[in-house]
Amino acid sequence: MSDPGPRVLIVDDEAGIRRFLRASLEAHGYSIDEASTGEEALQVVPAFRPDLILLDLGLPGVGGRQVTTCLREWTQTPIIILSVQDDESAKIAALDAGADDYLTKPFGAGELLARIRAALRRVGQQDSGPVFVTGDLTVDLVGRAVRLGDKEVQLTPTEYSLLKAFVVHANKLLTHRQLVREVWGGAHYEDTQHLLRVNISNLRRKLEVDPARPHYIITEPGVGYRLRTEPRATVAPSNV
Amino acid sequence: MQDEVPSTAAPNPLTHLSPGQEPATRSQRSWKARVLRLGDVSAEKRWGGVPASLAIVGLITIVGFWIEPVIRGPNLAIVYMLAVVFSALRWERRAVIISAISSAFFFDYFFVPPYRSFVVGDVWYFITLIGLLTVGLIVSTLLVATKEEARASRRSEAHISALYALTKSLAAESKLDQIIDALERHVLETFQRPIVVLLPEAGGLTVRFRSAGLAFDARDGAAAACVFANDQEAGHGTGKFSDSTIRYLPLKAWRGVVGVVGIQAEGWEEWHSSGRQQLLRSFMSQAALAITRADLVKKAQQAEVLQETDKLQKALLNSVSHNLRTPLASVIGALNSVLEDGALLDSPTKQSLLKTAQEEAGRLNWLVQNLLDMTRLEGGAIRVKTEPCDVHDVVGAALHQLGEATRSHPVSITIAPDLPLVPMDHVLIVQVLVNMLDNALKYSPDDAPIDIEAGLDAGKLEIRVLDRGRGIPEQELARVFDKFFRGTLPGPARGAGLGLSICKGFVEAHNGRILAKRRTQGGTELAFFLPLEAKRE
Repeated sequence: MSDPGPRVLIVDDEAGIRRFLRASLEAHGYSIDEASTGEEALQVVPAFRPDLILLDLGLPGVGGRQVTTCLREWTQTPIIILSVQDDESAKIAALDAGADDYLTKPFGAGELLARIRAALRRVGQQDSGPVFVTGDLTVDLVGRAVRLGDKEVQLTPTEYSLLKAFVVHANKLLTHRQLVREVWGGAHYEDTQHLLRVNISNLRRKLEVDPARPHYIITEPGVGYRLRTEPRATVAPSNV
Repeated sequence: MQDEVPSTAAPNPLTHLSPGQEPATRSQRSWKARVLRLGDVSAEKRWGGVPASLAIVGLITIVGFWIEPVIRGPNLAIVYMLAVVFSALRWERRAVIISAISSAFFFDYFFVPPYRSFVVGDVWYFITLIGLLTVGLIVSTLLVATKEEARASRRSEAHISALYALTKSLAAESKLDQIIDALERHVLETFQRPIVVLLPEAGGLTVRFRSAGLAFDARDGAAAACVFANDQEAGHGTGKFSDSTIRYLPLKAWRGVVGVVGIQAEGWEEWHSSGRQQLLRSFMSQAALAITRADLVKKAQQAEVLQETDKLQKALLNSVSHNLRTPLASVIGALNSVLEDGALLDSPTKQSLLKTAQEEAGRLNWLVQNLLDMTRLEGGAIRVKTEPCDVHDVVGAALHQLGEATRSHPVSITIAPDLPLVPMDHVLIVQVLVNMLDNALKYSPDDAPIDIEAGLDAGKLEIRVLDRGRGIPEQELARVFDKFFRGTLPGPARGAGLGLSICKGFVEAHNGRILAKRRTQGGTELAFFLPLEAKRE
């Protein structure tokens, strides 16, 4: 208790889930508070000031998406959505509303902890400097240069801005809509979706060893993509 | 001869069998038939040869005056004989008799001395005359009898082919309406009479078909009911309801009377000797058999549907109770042990119990997912949201979703270069691949390679998952996509037999198709094909 860890707010109407989450997270040094409804969550957040919120999507009354929208009006605290498999569209809506990531129930404690760590790291890394490195991939945001190992990679301007969006939000799940907004400036989403896929496909061909088993750009089926930095981020060379 | 002549209104059965058949029949007629005129005889034809025969006899007489000096007296009789035989070949009995008698008279009058008189002076001429007459009559009788036989055999041939045509039509149909339709068509073609068909339905005999223009009232209904009850013909020409213009015949099959047919009985009596009554009764037997068969087919189908539904429900119950309970039992058991006997267990044992609970819970989750997918498919709740997708992406997402499970087998991926983006529902197709891969992983030994191949095939995207497992027996290949079907070979008793049927449902929702094959060197190939153009709605 002498060194209280990051504070996490658990919002879920299922007592069993709250108990499981509290046990797992407290064991790893997190401080926990709980809320069982959306209304309660909105009251607790200003007082508890959590570093991260675990938010169930299927809350009775004020739902997870509305809670996200309300919170995003005044705080950028990372939100990880917890949901069951079937509600892809609700998941996307919550992510578009500003949630950072999602986890599909049932999930293991290991997966949950990894996502929490990644989300917290992103907050800490807001200004990570002009050069981004993960694994063999180096992106120099100032020089607009991309290298794979010691080989220069030639990207088109669109591919580069796509990669830049991933780098800026490393490890964050970006929905199709968010990526389109980021790269094409919110032009007609329906028309540019096709372009997005073509560019992702091209980017993978240039960056991935095996495009069918991508290492960096990971697909979240039906939702979006994320740039994965774990676990290779730890072996980034220190001399860059 | 007399009694078989149809009324003038009744067309010749030979020329009315079926419009399509007639030319063939005509062209197949032999020269013999043409010379002998084997067609049935109509009223005017019966007298048709008489003037011609007389004319021939007259002609021979005139010619006889010319050649008499050469041929001499009695020999001329031979020439007259020729005329008689010719008449017998060409015409009917009357013409032949008239030809024979007139020949005798002409010969006697003009060429037997004393000339220009019927008196016969010489006894030899008398013998010649008798001979001429006798031979003429015998030849005519023989020839006419032969013709009659030939005619009868043609008629029976026609009847057989009419019956055959009906049988063929009936055999092709399995639905009651089509059978009645075929019967009506063939009766009209062969008999040119309107009919009414009555079949028993709940509560009594009901008219299933009635030709236009055939009057049918309550009394006719009573006649038909009487036929149905007694299995006896009624109506025109019988003891019962004889004032009716309709003749009622029972449709008799081995199970008893299955219905009643009424036919307009005009010319009924004349049908007796021509065998047409018999033909009609044969028609009825065939129709009765077909109706019985249709009835049985219907019953069998109903039974089959019931049985299928029943089987499916049983399978669902079995599957759900077995497949959900088994992992649950493990989870509950393992957790109970840890909670209640925790103090007695060493740490590795506890760990292994918890690991079991975790794995079984995972299996339970997978099962629930499949049951949900199946329910969504059955309820029509699957909405395909097609977007152009990168095949690499789909394959990668499926492998990512399977995660650790793929570690036990080397998985190789071959994707044709320059594959276009293909419209599909990313989530559904990833699920298809996951289920296919799960199947391959489950049914092949560890370390056996699994190949994923993608390419274009005849304008479609083809994705294949190949394993080196035991393979699916040939006779089970068609059924692997059936709901709740699990291979009969002993093996890992996991899964509910839903995975591949979900694949099929998802692929077909994309207008695609899926198939399973045996690989020549052992193992299974599962492949699905998706159209390159998005489904337009």
